[in-house]
Amino acid sequence: MYAFDYRRPHSLNEADLALKAMPGAKFLAGGQTLLPTMKQRLARPDALIDLGAIPELKAISVSSDALTIGSMVTHAAVATSAEVNKALPNLAALAEGIGDPHVRHRGTIGGSVANNDPAADYPAALLALGATIHTDKRAIAADDFFQGLFTTALDENEMITSISFALPAKFAYAKFANPASRYALVGVAVAQRGGDVRVAVTGAGQSGVFRVPAMEAALKSSFTSQAVAGVKVDASTLSSDIHANADYRSHLIAVMAKRAVAAIA
Amino acid sequence: MAVNMSGEYILPADKQTVWAKLNDPEVLKACIPGCEEFTAEGNSYKATAKVKIGPVSTRFKGTVTLSDLDPPNSYRISGQGDGGISGFAKGGARVRLEDAEQGGTKLLYDVEAEVGGKIAQLGSRLIASVAKKNADEFFANFAKVFA
Repeated sequence: MYAFDYRRPHSLNEADLALKAMPGAKFLAGGQTLLPTMKQRLARPDALIDLGAIPELKAISVSSDALTIGSMVTHAAVATSAEVNKALPNLAALAEGIGDPHVRHRGTIGGSVANNDPAADYPAALLALGATIHTDKRAIAADDFFQGLFTTALDENEMITSISFALPAKFAYAKFANPASRYALVGVAVAQRGGDVRVAVTGAGQSGVFRVPAMEAALKSSFTSQAVAGVKVDASTLSSDIHANADYRSHLIAVMAKRAVAAIA
Repeated sequence: MAVNMSGEYILPADKQTVWAKLNDPEVLKACIPGCEEFTAEGNSYKATAKVKIGPVSTRFKGTVTLSDLDPPNSYRISGQGDGGISGFAKGGARVRLEDAEQGGTKLLYDVEAEVGGKIAQLGSRLIASVAKKNADEFFANFAKVFA
């Protein structure tokens, strides 16, 4: 590692002060993307503000109409949380399927969402569930938050504090994982709330996570796996790489959508 | 690793005007995503561009050359950049202009690029998407010049 400043504040107020003292600092969540990037010198921030010691960012709470997960809650904590398993069991299952045990015990929901990797799992869940991203400044709807490859509505130095999911909702996520990284080659999240259905796809879009209105319409008239089987996502908008070409990803979207729907239909 | 892309834009201006803008260093500078410097040096340009993708933030320094000039129909814009420890990128685009049927000018481009070094090793699953994003941004910025 090269030399950089490091602060570990114990409250949001202290974090704010640290940021004012070091304007070029980056927030460090679980460090599962930022630290490898720094080790490779592909980024060289002057200072890090580690958010790992702020208790209010690590809370999970559930009320009659919402599940709220603090931004610094790890994937492992989401996977094993009694509240999450009761309110949105398949969100716990999604967390259990991220990366490997090391990643799950260090990586956090806030870090994943702020990074908006085009193959990350959480962005699909947030978009399908119509989650709200709470920051130290405001609340942002998932539809407005994800803005393309590694791009979000967050301002420079804006911090995610928690993510809330309206309840009750039926939710399932099916992914075809890259066997080495467990990143989604294609992941499809399906959520049903009242008469509304939302479908979001990760891993496949050239601009990151996206919704599939044609599948949503098909599921609104018939919430069955057959309803999505015939809906094809245009391969020209999908990514091709050494792992899978766009046509294959298009095919996988329909397969994963069927599996997700079958899990909750 | 190699990346190939192509696309087309309809611009609301005649071929001569579009050609002039395509050869204007100030316009090119404004259109290249993250461009910080773009100065003439003989037949080519010295350029610096900051590439920021998620956590990665790298500055590429290099040269941009315009060749195969056939005014006002086509040229080739090529460049190579050194990102120091991050790696290198080089590539070019053949840009063609045609009179569009509905008026204005149709700009067609074919890009081929080669990315190597650490940035390609670590980011192989993302290079194609990132390259496309940058190409789209360049031509979208260029289209805005005529808006």
